[in-house]
Amino acid sequence: MIVPYGHVLILAVMSFAVGLVCMVARRNLIMLLVGVEIMMNGAAIAFVGAALRWQLLTGQVFVLFLIGVAGAEVSVGLVLIVAAYRKTESLDPDTYNLLKW
Amino acid sequence: MNLTFAHFPFLSAILLSCVTGLVLILLAPGDRKGLIKGIGLVFSGITLLLTVILFCSFDRTRGGLQFVEKIPWVKPFGISYFNAVDGFSLPLLLLTGIIFFTGVLTMWELEERVKEFLAFFFLLVTGVFGFFMSMDLFFIFVWYDVSLFPMYPLIAIWGGTRKEYGAMKLFLYLLAGSALILPTIIFLFVRSGLNTFDVVSLMQPGTFTSLDQRFAFILLYLGFGILAAVWPLHSWSPTGHVAAPTSVSMIHAGVLMKLGAFGILRLAIFLCPEGWQYWSQVMAVLAAIGIVYGVLVGLRQTDLKYVVAYSSVSHMGIVGLGLATVTVDGLNGAVFQMFAHGIMTALLFSSLGYIYDRTHTRMIPELGGMSRTMPVISIYFIVGSLAAMGVPGFGNFWAEIIVFIASFRTYPILGAIAVAALVLSALFMLRVVQKTFYGPPNAHFADLPDVRFGLGLPRLILVAMMILFGLFPWLMLDVIQTASIPLIGGLP
Amino acid sequence: MIPALIRDLNLALIVTALSLPLLSFGVISVFTRPHPRVSAAISVGAVTSALTAVLWLFAMNRHMHQPIAYAGRWFISGKVVICFGFLLDPTSLLMLTLVALISCLVQIYSLGYMAGDPGFSRYYAFQSLFAWAMMSLSVSSSLLQLYVFWELVGLSSYLLIGFWYEKFSASQAGKKAFLMTRLGDTAFLIGLFMVLINLGDLNILALDSAGAAARMSPFMITASALLIFGGIVGKSAQFPLLTWLPDAMEGPTPVSALLHSATMVAAGVYLFLRLFPFFSHSESAMTVFLSISTVSMLMASTMAMVQRDIKKVLAYSTISQLGFMIMALSAGGYFAGAFHLTTHAAFKSLLFLCAGVWIHHYGTNDLFDIGRRGGRRARVPMVCLIVGAGALSGVPPFSGFFSKEAIMATLAALHNPVWVAAGLAGAFLTAYYTFRMVFIILFPRDTEGEPHADAAGHKRTLDRLMHGPLIVLSVITLALGFFKEPLKIFLLTRQEFTGSGAVGHSGVFYGSMALVFVGVAVAWFEFGRKRSPRVGFVERVPFLKALFSNRWYLDYVYHKMVKTVLDGTFSRLSAENERLAINGGLDLFARFTVASGRVLSFLQSGILRYNLMVLFAVVTVLILFFWIG
Repeated sequence: MIVPYGHVLILAVMSFAVGLVCMVARRNLIMLLVGVEIMMNGAAIAFVGAALRWQLLTGQVFVLFLIGVAGAEVSVGLVLIVAAYRKTESLDPDTYNLLKW
Repeated sequence: MNLTFAHFPFLSAILLSCVTGLVLILLAPGDRKGLIKGIGLVFSGITLLLTVILFCSFDRTRGGLQFVEKIPWVKPFGISYFNAVDGFSLPLLLLTGIIFFTGVLTMWELEERVKEFLAFFFLLVTGVFGFFMSMDLFFIFVWYDVSLFPMYPLIAIWGGTRKEYGAMKLFLYLLAGSALILPTIIFLFVRSGLNTFDVVSLMQPGTFTSLDQRFAFILLYLGFGILAAVWPLHSWSPTGHVAAPTSVSMIHAGVLMKLGAFGILRLAIFLCPEGWQYWSQVMAVLAAIGIVYGVLVGLRQTDLKYVVAYSSVSHMGIVGLGLATVTVDGLNGAVFQMFAHGIMTALLFSSLGYIYDRTHTRMIPELGGMSRTMPVISIYFIVGSLAAMGVPGFGNFWAEIIVFIASFRTYPILGAIAVAALVLSALFMLRVVQKTFYGPPNAHFADLPDVRFGLGLPRLILVAMMILFGLFPWLMLDVIQTASIPLIGGLP
Repeated sequence: MIPALIRDLNLALIVTALSLPLLSFGVISVFTRPHPRVSAAISVGAVTSALTAVLWLFAMNRHMHQPIAYAGRWFISGKVVICFGFLLDPTSLLMLTLVALISCLVQIYSLGYMAGDPGFSRYYAFQSLFAWAMMSLSVSSSLLQLYVFWELVGLSSYLLIGFWYEKFSASQAGKKAFLMTRLGDTAFLIGLFMVLINLGDLNILALDSAGAAARMSPFMITASALLIFGGIVGKSAQFPLLTWLPDAMEGPTPVSALLHSATMVAAGVYLFLRLFPFFSHSESAMTVFLSISTVSMLMASTMAMVQRDIKKVLAYSTISQLGFMIMALSAGGYFAGAFHLTTHAAFKSLLFLCAGVWIHHYGTNDLFDIGRRGGRRARVPMVCLIVGAGALSGVPPFSGFFSKEAIMATLAALHNPVWVAAGLAGAFLTAYYTFRMVFIILFPRDTEGEPHADAAGHKRTLDRLMHGPLIVLSVITLALGFFKEPLKIFLLTRQEFTGSGAVGHSGVFYGSMALVFVGVAVAWFEFGRKRSPRVGFVERVPFLKALFSNRWYLDYVYHKMVKTVLDGTFSRLSAENERLAINGGLDLFARFTVASGRVLSFLQSGILRYNLMVLFAVVTVLILFFWIG
């Protein structure tokens, strides 16, 4: 392997972390989705590295699945966001607090 | 422990009469109040009759457990429907029957939601009867909760002063007690290794280790002690009494508090005798404090119901002291006192309930000279307070004397303190009697009617019971001794 | 039991005598409350029949040598065996006769005194209750049984003192009487328990036997004797529990005559008589008893010297005379104490009943008022008063003289000048205050002309009902002294009663006689003479007057103790503890639960981000945990 497995994993974790922070710390619903995308990309990187490490094609197949699923999920998510925006005119997740005690 | 099986399921018959009454009351239309009260009267009368017959047909020479009914129910856990009567539970069954009947009579003038009231009342009494009869730990706990639950609506709906607070406090505090009891029961079930909830099997010596017994005893004592108004866990009782309507107070002070003491006897003492001996000094100290404390706090009360409530706390201390002596006399006195005090406190609450219904006040400064206005009901109350002071001629005197002798033998100093409390209780009751019944009559209440014979009947029955057992104490003691002597004899 | 009753006449008589008043109480309380005359008839009938039975019993057994005991087992509880029975020996028969006779006379007297009172039936019910309880006390065979009837007697006293319950002072006095005697009874009960635990038996005969002394250590005997004496102090109103008796005068005068002079307060002395052999085993206890009774005797005499209320004079006098009796008993004089008990019952009830006639007519208790309104013109009460006063002071040939002589002889036999001096001082003071009372009524100043006897016929019958018992009692007072020797032989049939001091020391005898006459003379000088100032020598000293009038400030001490110590401190602390610590603690716990719920509810902000953060943090921690662990 040209790149050690550990480094690939570190990249994956960093990407995941960036995605996590973006998801949690932004006050924009679309950025939430962007964060989710980035996290999934991080997971994909981890899978690619694993496939390379153990010389199995299963990992790469999984990444293809992941890209497809991510696309589907983002479209559904965007539809929900558009509907929610039409209801409340706001993209701030803090406005959706009806579960507050 | 010899078991005598019943030819006729007497105990289930008692439970059945309560349940049948309950069902009929629920089926009756809610606006036919007279019919409902009639059903209540008939079925409580039948129950009373059954308990009296039971009391008389108990074989005093044979002792042991009689009228036994045992039907296995949930075999994998060893739960069975096991009813029996022994020398300890028989007086309490009789007590419940008497107070049930007189309680229904006392509420004769109730107009509001009679059907619900009597339904809850019958449910409560069913639970109490079941508790006293049952010899299976599982059922004991179930009946405990059955008797607990109706207290909440009874007080919260038909009660008086601060009823929501009183009902909530009483219910939650007693439920906390059951939260101590249930884990301990399960603990005992698991540790015995016998896979049964049956008291008779569990009480065989050697079932539990000494450490287990001590641990279980203190938890059961505290859990049931809440219900038995052991100091300092007693404070639900005065608040609850004041908030409750009259018959509920009668049942509460007369029977429910005895449920706690009996729970200590049937569960903690029967199953964990070594724990009993280990903790007996603590029990004695708490009981002695309770005796004196109840009287001291009662001295400052201005509400008649609080006065009687604190006097109950004091008298239950005497029961506790008797139980703490680990002697035959102590047990005899304690159970006799449970009976005698139950009757007396029911009489006091019943009489003051009548006064409250007429004058709409229980505050002592506002009453006064009641003897001139309502002489007959005043006599009932005064007779009740004489019994509370330990005047001979009533059953309470003998109960207290026996407990004092037993406690003096075992704990001389505590016994002396308990005896000295006699003076304080006399001061306390006489002051109340003087301010409420003597003195010039209050013009405000001058033309209130006195109790007629019909309404006075429950009080008359209670007075007759007190005098009966005061003159012939052996009627009760012979019964109790059939159980107390073998129990103490079997102690390690 | 019925065949036994018929076979044994003694048993039949005693059971009859005791059950008749009890039945009377039951019948009157339940059935005949609305019919006063029927109630009175039942009660008087019951007590008269009881008296007949008792006299018959007495006559049958007047030569008895051995006590007759009937005992049955009432119930057993574990180690405690409670027996119920009757003990018939000379002392109990004497007491029984005394109680029955005076109850009977007082009930007849009450027909006149209480006529027209709205509570007539209730009065007779309580009188029957008392008669039953007191008679049963006299023949109790075990100490516990005696305690039961002791308490019942206290109960009847409470009911009768507070009889006119609409008067606040009456119910207050009844309560005070009950509480003070209860205080003594608590000590009695503890002493009783000590005896029971150490000896195992409460039978009086067993207690008095020599075997008892052998089985109990001297310390135990002294301790239990002192505690049982506590009951005597309470019931017989000795120092320091003596202030209830003067207040008990709130009750009707016949009640004062019966309970608070002749019988109930004498129950304490009677208990001493019963346990005399037992108490005699402890020298130190007897000395303590002697001191207490001496103090009571002198204190009460001083209080009587400054009283204006006729009943209170007699009440203090009762305390003082009871002190005398207990002094005699503590000094070892069984017969002297018993004899004085008997004579005192007769002359003290006589004095009270005489006072009652005047109180009934004039509606006032005040000595000077009675004198001024012509009390002396009522001949029967006046003569009887003089007879009673003579007996009380110990003037020969009245009965009191003989019994006082016996007491002084007993005291002299102790060879201790302190007790003799006290006894002599007592004799002087008694004569003084008694004749002060007599002379105020007999020689009044500024008389008003108020006729005593009314012409109306029914009034005269009532008067005769009241005068009859007076005459009977006067006759007894005059005659009883001459029965001293036969009574002595009757009472002292058992070996245990030694030391009765038959021969009087002449010095003491003449000394006390002289002091009595000096006392009468001083009273005459101050109150009787034509131009006397009518002020006692004690009253001239303001400090003494205040001290004696306020009962040596005993009431003040008690009042302070109850108010400050009991109500103010203990009771208030307990109530505050209840309110703040116990209930407050519970409420605090409840509020804490609710508050913590409110605090924790901030976690439910509904903001998605926070939920997500928590979710990821927890998952990370779990992964780390499982990965590292």
